[in-house]
Amino acid sequence: MTATLLADRKTIPSAGMSEIIFTTKLDQACCIVGSCIALTLYHSRLGKGALAHIVLPRSVDRTGPPGKFADTAIPYMVDMLAAEGANQAGLVAKICGGASMFGTGGPIKIGVQNAEAVKRLLGELGIPIVGEDLAGPKGRRVVFDSQTGEMAVEIVGQPATTL
Amino acid sequence: MKEVSVIDIQKPSMDQLFSAATEDASKAMCRWTNGKITLSLEEVVEVTLEEVSQEMEIGEELLTMVVHCLEGELGGQLILTFDEQNGRQLAASLLGREVGTDSEWSALEQSALCETGNILSGAYMKVLTEAIDAKLVPSAPYFMQDYGASILHQAVAAQAMFSDRVLICRTNFQREGESLKWNVFFVPTEDLLEKIEHTVNASE
Repeated sequence: MTATLLADRKTIPSAGMSEIIFTTKLDQACCIVGSCIALTLYHSRLGKGALAHIVLPRSVDRTGPPGKFADTAIPYMVDMLAAEGANQAGLVAKICGGASMFGTGGPIKIGVQNAEAVKRLLGELGIPIVGEDLAGPKGRRVVFDSQTGEMAVEIVGQPATTL
Repeated sequence: MKEVSVIDIQKPSMDQLFSAATEDASKAMCRWTNGKITLSLEEVVEVTLEEVSQEMEIGEELLTMVVHCLEGELGGQLILTFDEQNGRQLAASLLGREVGTDSEWSALEQSALCETGNILSGAYMKVLTEAIDAKLVPSAPYFMQDYGASILHQAVAAQAMFSDRVLICRTNFQREGESLKWNVFFVPTEDLLEKIEHTVNASE
C-alpha cells in the first residue's frame, strides 16, 4: 500500500507536535496528524499564512509551546500574522485531522475534542472555515501551499484530496 | 539484556517492571518464530510531547501495525508496529510461503501478524498483571497501516491529556542478530499509569 506523494518530502519543512510554521509566499509546510489537528490560517491577498500542529483542545493551567493547545495556538497565530500585516479580518481557516485511529478513540475522544475546540475558537474570532477534513480512523499527511492557500491531504490507501 | 523475572523483583523500578514484561514477550516471540525474533527493553524514558517523534525516530514512513486495546478495570493500548519489508518477511516465514508482492496485504498475512501481536501482548500483559495486581486483558487485535508519526502521536495523545510528559519504552527487536525497525508502544491510561507508578513507588 502506498500513498500518493504530493511533493518532494525532503524539501518541505514539517511541523512536529505543538509546532507552528509561518510561511512566506514561496513556502510549503507539512505535517502528519492522527487525533491532532492541522490548522492553516491564510490571508489570500497577502499570501501569508501559517500551519499549526495542535495536540490538545485546552491549555487550562498547563505550560507548553503555543502550538500545543487549540486555545493558545489560534490567538498566537492570529497575533503573529497581524504583526506581518495579515489582519484577522482577511484570514480564512482550513482544518484537518481529529481522527480516532484505535477503535473508538477511548473514553476521552481526543480527536473529537480537538476538532470541536478548534471550530469553536475560530467561530468566536469570526474566522471562516473554508475547508475541513475531520474524523475517521486514519492518519493524514497535510501539505500547505502558501502560494495558493491550498491544503493537500493524503490518507494511506486513498486518493489525495485538496481543500 | 539482563535476565529479570517478575517473581524475583523485590523492589521493581519502572525499568525492571517493563524489562520483565519485555523479557517474557521476547521468550514468547522466540518460540512463535522458531527462534528468529527476539526483543529487549533498551530503556524507559519520559519525554515531552514535542520530543516524542525525534526520540522514537518515527516520521513520515508508512508502518504496518497490530493494535490491542486493553479491556478490564484499567485501560490502555498496546501497539506493535512493523516496517513493510520485515513485516512481510515475518508473515511469509510464519506461513511458510514466499514473501508477498501484492500491494495489499492478504487476509492470511494480516492474520499471521495479528497472531504475532496476540502472542506478544499476551505475554507482556501477563507480567504486568501479576506485578500490579490488576487484570489487563488485551482485546482481539486489529490490523492497520498508516503513517508512523500519526500512529505515534495518536498513541501518546491519551497521556498528553493529563501530563506534559509521556512514558516511552524503547524496545529493540532483532531477527537473528540484526536489528529490526519495529516498535512496541504500550500506552496506559491515566488510571493504569497511576497504578503502575504506585506499585513501583510502594516497593522503593
